[in-house]
Amino acid sequence: MERSWQRWLIRFAVFIVMAIICIPGLWIVMTAFRDNVEVMARPPVWIPERWTLDNFRAILGMSESQQGIPVARYFLNSVIISVTSTVLAVLIGMMGGYAFARYRFKGKNVAFLWLMLSRTVPGISLSLPVFMIWSRVGLIDTDFGVILVYLALNIPFTIWLIDGFFRQIPLSLSEAAQVDGCTRWQAFWKIEFPLAKSGIASAGIFAFLTSWNEFALASQLTRTTASKTLPVGLMDFTAQFTVDWTGMCAMAVIIIVPALILTFIVQKHLIAGLTFGGVKG
Amino acid sequence: MNFVRGIQAALFSCAALGALTAVASAEDAANWGSFPGYTLKVKLVGGTQYEKLYTRIPEWEKATGAKVEIVSSKNHFELDREIKQDIASGTITWCVGSNHTSFAPQYGDLYVDLKTLIPQATLDEFVPGTLAASMVDGRLVQLPRVTDVSNLYYLKDLYENADNKAKYKEKFGTELAPPTTYDELKQQVIFFASPPNLYGTAFAGKDEGMTGRFMEIVRANGGDMFDENWNPIFNSQAGIDALQWFIDIYNAKAVPAGTVNYTWDDIGQAFAAGTLAVDLDWPGFAAFYNDPAKSKVAGKVGFALSPLGTAGKRGGWSGSHSFSVTEACDNKEAAASLVNFLTDYDSAMMEARAGNLPTRTKAFTDVVEEFKKSDTPYMAEMFAVWGQSLADARTPPLVPQWIEVSNVIWPELQAAIVGQKTAKEALDTAAKKATQIMEDAGVLQ
Amino acid sequence: MRFFRSRLSPPILLLMPAFVIIALVVAVPLLFSLYTSFTGYRLVKPDSLWQWVGLRNYQRLLSDVDFWWAFGRTLVFLTVALNLELVLGLCIALLIDKLTAGQRVIRTIMMFPMMFSPILVGFQFKYIFNDNVGLVNNAIQSLGWSDVTIPWLVNPVTANLAILMAEVWMSTPIFAILLLAGLMAMPRDPIEAAKVDGCNPWQVFRHITLPYLMPFVYIAMAIRSLDVARAYDMVKIMTNGGPAGRTELLWTLIARTGYQDARMGMANAMSYASILLSVYFTVYFFRKLAAARRTMGGVA
Repeated sequence: MERSWQRWLIRFAVFIVMAIICIPGLWIVMTAFRDNVEVMARPPVWIPERWTLDNFRAILGMSESQQGIPVARYFLNSVIISVTSTVLAVLIGMMGGYAFARYRFKGKNVAFLWLMLSRTVPGISLSLPVFMIWSRVGLIDTDFGVILVYLALNIPFTIWLIDGFFRQIPLSLSEAAQVDGCTRWQAFWKIEFPLAKSGIASAGIFAFLTSWNEFALASQLTRTTASKTLPVGLMDFTAQFTVDWTGMCAMAVIIIVPALILTFIVQKHLIAGLTFGGVKG
Repeated sequence: MNFVRGIQAALFSCAALGALTAVASAEDAANWGSFPGYTLKVKLVGGTQYEKLYTRIPEWEKATGAKVEIVSSKNHFELDREIKQDIASGTITWCVGSNHTSFAPQYGDLYVDLKTLIPQATLDEFVPGTLAASMVDGRLVQLPRVTDVSNLYYLKDLYENADNKAKYKEKFGTELAPPTTYDELKQQVIFFASPPNLYGTAFAGKDEGMTGRFMEIVRANGGDMFDENWNPIFNSQAGIDALQWFIDIYNAKAVPAGTVNYTWDDIGQAFAAGTLAVDLDWPGFAAFYNDPAKSKVAGKVGFALSPLGTAGKRGGWSGSHSFSVTEACDNKEAAASLVNFLTDYDSAMMEARAGNLPTRTKAFTDVVEEFKKSDTPYMAEMFAVWGQSLADARTPPLVPQWIEVSNVIWPELQAAIVGQKTAKEALDTAAKKATQIMEDAGVLQ
Repeated sequence: MRFFRSRLSPPILLLMPAFVIIALVVAVPLLFSLYTSFTGYRLVKPDSLWQWVGLRNYQRLLSDVDFWWAFGRTLVFLTVALNLELVLGLCIALLIDKLTAGQRVIRTIMMFPMMFSPILVGFQFKYIFNDNVGLVNNAIQSLGWSDVTIPWLVNPVTANLAILMAEVWMSTPIFAILLLAGLMAMPRDPIEAAKVDGCNPWQVFRHITLPYLMPFVYIAMAIRSLDVARAYDMVKIMTNGGPAGRTELLWTLIARTGYQDARMGMANAMSYASILLSVYFTVYFFRKLAAARRTMGGVA
């Protein structure tokens, strides 16, 4: 009896906490389905009285009063940039992580620390010099230019996480495989990689979320529909004097949904990956 | 005699005909030139409000055979940053750029003097004051597409309410009517305020919005930001009075306390929610306020000219969105042709119909007629009021250092408004910092 | 390929891509901005790049009161934010760990704030804390205190609190998910043993759970201190450092100086100060982490 009472108490507490976490986000989602007149109303309108898809219609260019926004194009750019940079960051992370976990070499600790410290530089101090270099070599407003920057953002973290994960796997396993005639390369793919899959997945989801939501650097390096990503596209809703908040929220929904789905899918790996990856190095 | 008269008549009609053809060719300046196969690279301000105009671009492409490639489309402030980056990296590879009168002085000789590229007859069709404000050091670096100046929006039912009228008369001895001076405005916003449901007004309390509104009242009070040698003089009595105006309505709780953190969108939302009695604001909000899907006060909004200061003048803080042609452009004729096209009469009418203030004199009268005919007297009235205020429109000082100076002024204004400093202290500090900026820049010796 | 393999050892080869990219995107640009911090570089005057001013920018910084206020405020802001996120994240993780059903859904919901771009968070919290038509004041008023209006973003205490809340909302999930991972990986035997020995739940938490979690805490701290600067987008939109500089953080100050005022040289000098700050935080947590790893290694 006491058990079930406790369980309900925990569920109730979880509910309250989740509500607090969700309300600011859900408010954005609800705003996406409102008329502007309800948004800042006094007295407040908590639950939309009329759910409307007008905001979505407007940004997709299906309303007459407003110029549409190339959402499909932004979406495509975002997918290309986030997916490519995530995959590459994970690959490079695997290479780096393997190097740190399996080899001894001079300056290893220093190299590791410098790698991590590269991540502490604020984007603002990088933005101008990166811009100047990129514009000289023609990387401005290309997907590749953005991907390269995101790689630099994500690599330190993926290396770190995957490094810890490889260390967790006993060296004897891969040695045994090599004794059985596998090359080191084969042993890696047959033994170490499958065991490290969770760690790699969780490194991946963090890298993906970072790239998917990044704004400050992307807004400097992209200029047109050729490479503008969804978060940069959010600024299309601001003019000199006005902010189309309902439109922005509709766009936000478009940004959030894929990220949410992906997070849900990799959820199982996430916990396992973080557990071994980070700590037990 | 008859013969002479005949000749005279003939000559006269010839002249008339000539004049007519001249008009016609100016009018169907539909001759936008011919640039087949040329690709014109342009950077245009983005955002739904400004992009409608760009739907006309294919028309120009068809007329000239050229192609327009939009190499950037971003919001106003980001475009400014991007152009600065381009200057920094020396990569001016584009021909036409969106510009703004407040930003233009910063860009040095990035842009050409359009007087050399656009016929004087065309320039004469612009509102003279707006065109004059587009000059930097005597060079016409931009051709304005829309202009902005602020006037009053007010809630009509508050002013028509019999109870309010009686109380106001009893208290101040005058009839309740939309204010004509800043003193009257102050008196009325304090009168109307009954927080938290209704405030007298709200003002932009940070960024250039704060500095701009302050400057507007300083000028209305007969002062200015700089003297002719670029010495900051906004800490004069006119300046102190202007700042005191903000402090007074803030302390009287006639404005939301959060107003020192508001920008235009917050104010617009607050007025649309019906929580402000009066709003000194930009023309772009008119259509928004009257749209029932967006605003609670639709149908209840009245217009009045912006108030006069103690010097009996209007401050008329204004700015224009514009287009410029770069010096680095390899085909300035094509670039000028596009700029000309995007600011021609049809473009001006398109902007006006969307609720923006056009820059061509003729478009003003025509759009008022059009709105009257199409049974939208609200917009017709808006254009009538705003048209009157254009004569007093003035830009901020057109020096490259303006934005930087503005950034030292507004935090000090905020400090005075929230009671951290007195008006004089705050303005003296700001003036000192501004002096340093002007000295560093070598403008002030 | 064989040639390279013979000349370079495998770890160098494996690490090459990572270091090339970091050098390209971080190191080279950083050297450039280090150089400009010794010049009077103004963005709109390319020639000024060669105007060497020595230590002038740094000298001015030393005597710039506003800068040091922003520096101090950033330091306090980071300390408070990171600790608060840690405590809240720990509570959430402990709670979810107790949950027996629906964990996958709840964990996804818990990560909900991580899906929002910082600029969205900025706008959202600006509107939530709007004193006139904002959500919080509306809620307070409809609860019956009808004439209370709190100027959240104006009062020096509440303004910083509001920014702090936005930051905490945005980043607590990172702590929660990492700590939850730690909790779930924790062996259950020691806890059972302690219970048998008569420890109360608090003692179990204090002497068994918490020590086990410490490495996870440092990891979370290190990860977060790596990208605190992304709070910039949010603060910029919420208050832009105002009113009267009450919420000015280093990042808003740097961006305004560099881009709006176009004084890039000065802005880069400020950046270096801010980089030192984040390097300090990161190195500190890495050391703690390394120490914790050593003790963990002893246990495991």
